[in-house]
Amino acid sequence: MKKSHIILIVLIAVAIGAIVGSISDSSTYADFDKAFSNPEREYHVVGQLNRDKPTVYEPEKNADLFTFYMLDNNGVEKEVFLTKAKPQDFERSEQIVLIGKAKDDVFVAREILMKCPSKYEDGTPEETPAKASI
Amino acid sequence: MEIQYLNEHLWVGQVGNVFVILSLMAALVATISFFIAQSTKDVSWENIGVQSFRVHTLAVFTVIGLLFFMLANHYFEYHWVWYHTSSTMPIRYLLSAFWEGQEGSFLLWTFWHVVIGNVLIYTAKNWRPSVMTVLSSVQFFLASMILGIYIIDFKIGSNPFTQLLREHPDFANLPMFANANYLETIDGRGLNPLLQNYWMTIHPPITFLGYALTVVPFAYAIAALWRKDYRGWFKPALPWAYFGVAIFGGGIIMGGAWAYEALSFGGFWAWDPVENASLVPWLTLVGGAHLIMISKNKGSSLLAAFALIILSFILVLYSTFLTRSGVLGETSVHAFTDLGMSGQLLIYLLFYLVLAIALVVWRYKDLPKSKQEDHLWSREFWMFVGSLIFMISSFQIAFTTSIPVINKVFGTNMAPPTDPIAHYNSWQLPFAVLLLIVMGFTLFLKYKKNEFAPFFKKIFIELASSLLLTGVVGVLLKLQNPFYLLMLFASTFTVLGNLSYINSVLKGKIKKAGAAVAHVGFGMLMLGALVSMSSSDTISSNTSGVDVSQLGDDFSNNENILLLEGDTLPMGGYYVTYQGREKEGIYVRFKVDYLKKTENGYQPQFGLKPFVQLNDRMGNVPEPDTKHFLTRDIYTHVTYATLDPPKTQDEGFKELKVETLAVGDTAYATNAIMVLDNIFRGTGGKELGLSESDIAITARIKVFDFNTKTHFLQPTFVLKDSSYIVPVPAENESLGLRVSFERINTENGKIDLKIEESKAAKRDFVIMKAVIYPYINLLWLGAILTVIGILFSVYTRIKTSKA
Repeated sequence: MKKSHIILIVLIAVAIGAIVGSISDSSTYADFDKAFSNPEREYHVVGQLNRDKPTVYEPEKNADLFTFYMLDNNGVEKEVFLTKAKPQDFERSEQIVLIGKAKDDVFVAREILMKCPSKYEDGTPEETPAKASI
Repeated sequence: MEIQYLNEHLWVGQVGNVFVILSLMAALVATISFFIAQSTKDVSWENIGVQSFRVHTLAVFTVIGLLFFMLANHYFEYHWVWYHTSSTMPIRYLLSAFWEGQEGSFLLWTFWHVVIGNVLIYTAKNWRPSVMTVLSSVQFFLASMILGIYIIDFKIGSNPFTQLLREHPDFANLPMFANANYLETIDGRGLNPLLQNYWMTIHPPITFLGYALTVVPFAYAIAALWRKDYRGWFKPALPWAYFGVAIFGGGIIMGGAWAYEALSFGGFWAWDPVENASLVPWLTLVGGAHLIMISKNKGSSLLAAFALIILSFILVLYSTFLTRSGVLGETSVHAFTDLGMSGQLLIYLLFYLVLAIALVVWRYKDLPKSKQEDHLWSREFWMFVGSLIFMISSFQIAFTTSIPVINKVFGTNMAPPTDPIAHYNSWQLPFAVLLLIVMGFTLFLKYKKNEFAPFFKKIFIELASSLLLTGVVGVLLKLQNPFYLLMLFASTFTVLGNLSYINSVLKGKIKKAGAAVAHVGFGMLMLGALVSMSSSDTISSNTSGVDVSQLGDDFSNNENILLLEGDTLPMGGYYVTYQGREKEGIYVRFKVDYLKKTENGYQPQFGLKPFVQLNDRMGNVPEPDTKHFLTRDIYTHVTYATLDPPKTQDEGFKELKVETLAVGDTAYATNAIMVLDNIFRGTGGKELGLSESDIAITARIKVFDFNTKTHFLQPTFVLKDSSYIVPVPAENESLGLRVSFERINTENGKIDLKIEESKAAKRDFVIMKAVIYPYINLLWLGAILTVIGILFSVYTRIKTSKA
């Protein structure tokens, strides 16, 4: 067997390994029902903040715990424990992606991604006070 | 009736649009002329091509010039100007504003291509018509990106000369446009404050020059296949390819530096999709450049060289598609919005992909094959292996980053890995280890056959000393992860091996040292990355003294600290104190001082001012502040702060709550935790003016504040003459806390404790994270050395080829 063949085989093997590895490491977008029926697995759960329920952040007790209620895209509501500091501008979020797993009655999120409306939205011009005259 | 608007400068847009069309047409004429010139060897066609490219150059420069003119004069009648600037924007952000949007970044890209094209016109000699055909065709596509016309329903390009009120669909019929003099009342949105940063002035042009440089080796490769001159392109393409490696790499590391300085994730690389998108083509370019060198010197690896060089350019297009099409939307924090041009980008990408594959397949039989195998112990063999490692590393990153694209294409519902950093590291770390080991010894091998024994003798000392150093440093840094140790060994070996190569083989002949210097730099970069990240120490973790582990294992990831204004807390060998905030424009800066305890009390060492930028466009953006020392950095980031500081004028106490407690029970106040330690028959009756018949019961309460100090409060409950009750409260002034013993339940021994807090006690606070990154300067120094090393070897190569 030629060296180039060995290299080719190794290369293909690693490439397949990378594909398999990537797919097996990939998470799944899920709703709360799925996440709570598989509490041992980590999921990405997409949803919205329930603004009618309180959000609690008491840094004097634990700076790394922030709790709130989220509605997933099916409207299922769960309490969420985010094990990080409260994100700046949390209340403005339009959509939330949580990364974490279910534990008992709460969803314990390790990571949070937020989409704020203004971030992507195209603004329209408003009348502003006249420019300083030159 | 049509309104006659006042004070508009519509001529700029009209002139601009003429030049937009001209640049597109000139690029098309240049493409066709160069194509015919190459096919017919007719010099007059080549001259037309050159002239057309000059017209194209002029048109592009004019468009850019007009746009800067519009920006500088705040012509808000143009949507693009209105969108990216405001009349109050400082002039130094003019450049950032120019390339904030897609139109500007495509123009920046076009600009570099134009510059490169004009250099090629003078240097490409007999390659000129073929190479310029490819480049001019790319320019045709890029020029169409700012066209802004509709063909049926398909939008082609986004035009920066679009008028705000007449042509932009979102703004038609707004009431303000009933005013003929609307320009008097309007101001621009302004540059996104996040980009009002000096990094945004230098990082994009460098990165885009890197992007642009991939087109040159690509054009040469396509031209080579076209002309059936499979070897002649190595020499002219090689310096361009390495120049691209240096500039593109420099752009990426600048992005890392910007992230490290200004973004809050902590660290210089987060495997974010946008970062990955730029890293992937760079990796293939590095592989491709080395393969060209092997092919040039030895004649093997021809097909691989073509593949990687072509792939680098295609991947630059793919990377643009990924970041600009909005497909990454849910996975990345800084993906861009879709301006409706993703279809166009895709066509552009597929055109070159299909063209390149077709050419390679067509010419495959014709490609010269090397007759004999590379010898195992030869420079070309290990350079080839190294290039393949670059390729496979790039493939792995590209695949995982493309998960959202795979979902779109195959209708799957995969989410990116929940812990991307761990995922990528688990693959890239082994690749890096292999690569660095190969890099450590390959230069010691000559091209063609080497005997193993003398070669091994040359690298033995470096191998042994790297092993020794790994042991020592590994113990010092307490590295236990075997992969980290391997990486430590491999990067040390690269550094030592290449240093020794410069010293012993080149004997200090600095002219030839470019490659070795670049390899030393790359080894240092990896070493710095490994040490600074693996031994980073989050010093802000759990110093609060409040035990939160009772909440379960999931709550152990304590990395934030609560700092009340004026308090001094121990943290990582320092004492840290929050001195309050200052507001300056849209910036709220938090003053954090680091102190050392000495005999004369606390001595300030340095102060940092992490801040929050009040950004109504992106949401409020926190930015860390970092103290740089030679051997380590202290990164300090405010993760949370109330943006309106609490008022502190109030006086007196307000009741917080009444708690019923047994001995051992805990009660919480806002800034303290109290445990009922004991209840005992009070003493000190005299001071309270008690007589024999009175009963005094004292509660001893242990109070923990968040400075980990323990205080005691002893409120007393007095039963006077067995009939009426007099509670004697206890106060702690520094905590602003007052507790009163209100009642005792004789049956179960529980007491009622009233907790009051001083109204002035609600002090300002920040939640802060602080991390020490040791030896991160190795990384920056390594990056600079790498770039200098490559540029130097490019320089000597050009110089010797001219001589």
